[in-house]
Amino acid sequence: MNNKPKVGVYVCHCGINIAKTVDVNAVTEFASHLPNVKVARNYSYMCSDPGQLLIREDIKNEGLNRVVVASCSPRMHELTFRKTLAEAGLNPYYLEMANIREQCSWVHEDRERATGKAKKLVAAAVSKVRLLEPLQEKEVEVEPATLIIGGGIAGIQAALDIANAGFKVYLVEKTPSIGGRMSQLDKTLPTLDCSACILTPKMVDVASHPNIELFTYSQVEDVSGFVGNFQVKVRRKARYVDMDKCTGCGACAQECRLSGRIPSEFDVGMGKRGAIYLPFPQAVPAKYTIDAQRCLFLTRGKCGKSPKCIDACAAGAINFEQKDEMIEFKVGAIIVATGFDVFDASRKPEYGYNDYVNVITSLELERLVSASGPTGGNVVIGTGEEAFVPKEIAFIKCVGSRDKSVGNEYCSRVCCMYTAKLAHLVEEKIPGANVRVYYMDVRAFGKGFEEFYDRVRREGIRYIRGNPSEIFKRGDKLVIKVENTLTSTPMEDEVDLVVLAVGLEPRKDAREIIDLLRLSQSADRFFLEAHPKLAPVDTATDGVFLAGCAQGPKDIPDTVAQAKGAASSALVLLSSGRVKVQAQISFINEATCRGCGFCVEICPYGAIELVTVNRMGHQVSVARVNEALCKGCGACAAGCLSGSSQQKSFMDRQILPQIAVLGVMK
Amino acid sequence: MVDLEKLKNVARETVSRDDVKYLIGWRQGTYGFRVSPHFVKEPDEAEKLIFSPLCTNNLATYLVLTERLPLLRGEQPDSRKVALMVKGCDSRAVVQQLIEQGINRESVFIIGCPCEGVIDLKKVEEKFSNQPGPVQARWSNGKIVFHLPDGDKEVPKGEVLAAKCLSCRYPNPVITDLMLWEEVQTRGSDEYEDVKELEAKSPQERWLFWEDKFSSCIRCYSCRNVCPMCYCEDCVLDRLNPAWVFRSNNISENTAFQLARAFHLAGRCIECGECERVCPVGIPLTKLNRKLAKEVKEKYEYIPGLDPESKPLQSSYRPDDKEDFIL
Amino acid sequence: MKEQFEPNVVAFLCNWCSYAGADLAGTSRIQYPSNLNVIRVMCSGRVNPLFVINALQQGADGVLISGCHPGDCHYMEGNFYARRRFTLMKELLEYVGVDSRRFNMSWVSASEGSKWKDVVQGVVEKAKEAGPFEQFRRNKINW
Ligand SMILES: Cc1cc2nc3c(=O)[nH]c(=O)nc-3n(C[C@H](O)[C@H](O)[C@H](O)COP(=O)(O)OP(=O)(O)OC[C@H]3O[C@@H](n4cnc5c(N)ncnc54)[C@H](O)[C@@H]3O)c2cc1C
Ligand code: SF4
Ligand code: SF4
Ligand code: SF4
Ligand code: SF4
Ligand code: SF4
Repeated sequence: MNNKPKVGVYVCHCGINIAKTVDVNAVTEFASHLPNVKVARNYSYMCSDPGQLLIREDIKNEGLNRVVVASCSPRMHELTFRKTLAEAGLNPYYLEMANIREQCSWVHEDRERATGKAKKLVAAAVSKVRLLEPLQEKEVEVEPATLIIGGGIAGIQAALDIANAGFKVYLVEKTPSIGGRMSQLDKTLPTLDCSACILTPKMVDVASHPNIELFTYSQVEDVSGFVGNFQVKVRRKARYVDMDKCTGCGACAQECRLSGRIPSEFDVGMGKRGAIYLPFPQAVPAKYTIDAQRCLFLTRGKCGKSPKCIDACAAGAINFEQKDEMIEFKVGAIIVATGFDVFDASRKPEYGYNDYVNVITSLELERLVSASGPTGGNVVIGTGEEAFVPKEIAFIKCVGSRDKSVGNEYCSRVCCMYTAKLAHLVEEKIPGANVRVYYMDVRAFGKGFEEFYDRVRREGIRYIRGNPSEIFKRGDKLVIKVENTLTSTPMEDEVDLVVLAVGLEPRKDAREIIDLLRLSQSADRFFLEAHPKLAPVDTATDGVFLAGCAQGPKDIPDTVAQAKGAASSALVLLSSGRVKVQAQISFINEATCRGCGFCVEICPYGAIELVTVNRMGHQVSVARVNEALCKGCGACAAGCLSGSSQQKSFMDRQILPQIAVLGVMK
Repeated sequence: MVDLEKLKNVARETVSRDDVKYLIGWRQGTYGFRVSPHFVKEPDEAEKLIFSPLCTNNLATYLVLTERLPLLRGEQPDSRKVALMVKGCDSRAVVQQLIEQGINRESVFIIGCPCEGVIDLKKVEEKFSNQPGPVQARWSNGKIVFHLPDGDKEVPKGEVLAAKCLSCRYPNPVITDLMLWEEVQTRGSDEYEDVKELEAKSPQERWLFWEDKFSSCIRCYSCRNVCPMCYCEDCVLDRLNPAWVFRSNNISENTAFQLARAFHLAGRCIECGECERVCPVGIPLTKLNRKLAKEVKEKYEYIPGLDPESKPLQSSYRPDDKEDFIL
Repeated sequence: MKEQFEPNVVAFLCNWCSYAGADLAGTSRIQYPSNLNVIRVMCSGRVNPLFVINALQQGADGVLISGCHPGDCHYMEGNFYARRRFTLMKELLEYVGVDSRRFNMSWVSASEGSKWKDVVQGVVEKAKEAGPFEQFRRNKINW
């Protein structure tokens, strides 16, 4: 085939942009004498139609098989000229550009020097272009389905958008019900809509949507493959309740011997449930689940004479024989919407969260003020005889946020506003309550936020600037030690209830997802987006997108907006039906590979694996690149000692001549 | 204490095992203080095995150098273990080979020989020149005894031990299937004094120092060939396309060759000193290798050849790696 | 006095940050010395450390590797590997007596056109001070 390189060099004037400083004729003349150069021309605008025609004609008439364009940056027009080559029937990767505008004529004034440099750059490009190899741009088909991990508001919104666009969605939720943190909230700021009222309809839509397959109480176990073709394995944990038979009547839960004896996760310990339970009344699916860690029958093999739930269930839905189920399917795109954890307040021991019942977190308060919560919406602290309604109430903001001592330098973005919301709700619920908020700053940046903040202050909630140093008990009261930093006065404040406005943290089990999908974390440990500004929902793994608090703290409006963004990114992929894979990727020379696995460790995309091959009868291990995963960074190539890993178009033997030319030519 | 009988017995037992191909140990060479590798296939060949201050060779090289002859169709490769005798330093080569997946743990049987230090042949030959017949040696109470034809000669260790042994941190094998005798005491710490001494000189002096050394290199590639870590199927430094270094024997190519070799061993060289030992023109390669060993330890707290589970230095990083020189 | 020595610097730039930064310097018409010539690679992680030895051997008086700031690598980790490799390469070169002014590394982002100018000026200036590196020359193009 194209054994002997026949190079065409095209020097662009770019009007006067290049020609003013670079002697284009001299460069052309110089280029015409370089090894393997068949044609060297210059033209006013190489990127114009006539300019491109020049190249195409020469390819046809002169039999050129390599092209060097000396013009602007390849970041500008590499694609243009690749197309030109392709149109003339030449492999588009037989192109090399010499950047004599951005990195020469525009940055040097001295004509002689600029011309000299342009010659060097052209010579280097010629030295490389001769050694380039044709590359194939491959495309793969996209499986028209999406996996969404996490059924919070982010996952729900993305699922509905994609399903409504007509594509299949598999929604996997770890807990027995979808809804996420939003379902735990009472009202949502700043408009104070009832959280359940706006969320429940969406949850029901998810359950009934023909395009959505919902796996609750399930976990993604394995993801393999690549963009367009992910192979997913999901473990559906045994609920010990037959989902088809359970009518959600709840007779079992009332009868369970442990009823009301197990702290409810949903109520963050403020309420109790039984071993068979529905996390909350609006749960979707409205099916009961047996907690295998607690159930007497499952842990001890015995529950009285016979398990009470079995006796109670008229539908005969209880099934202690149920096993975990593995489900496999293929998807083209994945959206990660796994949300967040709230900061564990016991990590700030000075606030006595572990020591005093009347130090609670904001999320716990959310459950207390909720009409469907364990106290029916009454703010009552403690149980039984000791229960009381607090009058003097203090909120402490930024607990676990903006705090390097606990490793969270970031702002959690919702605490300022939910504190204002909760303060307002408490004051509304407890007549005569005295509410104050200790704060470092108030960040009321969102739509309607500043107005809401103003409103609660007008309602009489006091904002005191200061970061409490300690909380201790004195008699019945809690004492907050704090310095008012606006007046520089140290003070002690006696209160009945302290609410810690805990921040948002990455989930403790985030590692599972990172390992599964090879995601990265940003400095705050949330999942890292591909670009903070221009690709905020993409990740470094093609076909995997982020939505909601999994990517960083945010409120519901931002979560929903991002979920819609992620859905649309997934839809772009699904509806186009095909994806191009990189052409300038790496490959391994298996004959020289020593199987050390350095490249496997190095590859940021997990694109390389060690495979066993037969080398003259011996089983040896060598590296192999998965072409659909490789993004062509070349890090493996630089890390391979034996030079077995090479990046196409950037091979060692293609770069060394460039170095030689640039080094030797003066 | 070295127990030669035990060593031989263990060797006999080991090579009698069905799952062992052969054992690699040391035997007295044919003249002077030389020692040869000894491949024991049959139990009676174990008789010749020795372990003495002369056993400088790092036999781990042979684990990765085994030639894999083409097999006929249907012929099964011999997948039995290779048994290997290792000193402390040698064992680190084995660990590093494990880290780099050059060998499998199941394919080797490691017999550990805690070591009181081996000789620097040059020092010994200077002392006792012209020894046409084989001369044996042994450790004795912190000294080394040479059985010369004209009677035993006792020499303090400091006078004849290899430099690497004088500052050895790992005289006891760090990985074994069987330890032959009780462990010995670690000798001294290693502060990289040899490296620091050169670092203290001016760049010009350093260049002249190495220019002088490298200019005598005859490019025999022994340093690379003997190295237990240099087992690439096809070394880049041999390659013609691309040619990283030209074949010409001049200061430019020689220097490039040594820089590339040393760099390839960054975080991998276990400082066994074999390269320097075999260099026919006496280039102090350890001084070069140890510079990188020092940097790797100081900058990345990494010591190669200790933990088979560790990630290779060259394929890892920490986001907070130092970068004071970067603009 | 002799004629001013004009050094020859070979630079390896990653496509996404430093090369884009250098392009930006161009678009902004920022002037800098013409002694530095660029080889574009996709990532600083692609730069084989042996390239540096090779460049010095082939006639470069100075070498520069430039990539994205840590944490900004287009491929997430490439510049972290580069940083380790070239930290060690720098140590090695200095140890054998190569003037430390000949080897440089920088982080230049796509928006740092003026930093690029500073880097080039600095690197060229240093190479000038270090003088020609004749001792290590090969002086032959392997076309
Ligand atoms: C106390 C408090 C009050 C708040 N008040 C307001 C407010 O008034 N207004 C407002 O706009 N915002 C408020 N927020 C913020 C709001 O809760 C979040 O914006 C919202 O919940 C984010 O939704 P999400 O879907 O990203 O995450 P989440 O709600 O956390 O949902 C994540 C879901 O993913 C599931 N999941 C996690 N890991 C896995 C896995 N590996 N596999 C399967 N499923 C998994 C979880 O079980 C969960 O269901 C408040 C937050 C707190 C803590
Ligand atoms: S780094 Fe090179 S030699 Fe090692 S496994 Fe990868 S390709 Fe093979
Ligand atoms: S080029 Fe980059 S992405 Fe591709 S296999 Fe190598 S390290 Fe991985
Ligand atoms: S470079 Fe020399 S000292 Fe280092 S492991 Fe190889 S042979 Fe031993
Ligand atoms: S010098 Fe490098 S390429 Fe050559 S054998 Fe050693 S490690 Fe492999
Ligand atoms: S052993 Fe010595 S002479 Fe031979 S190549 Fe190595 S350094 Fe050069």
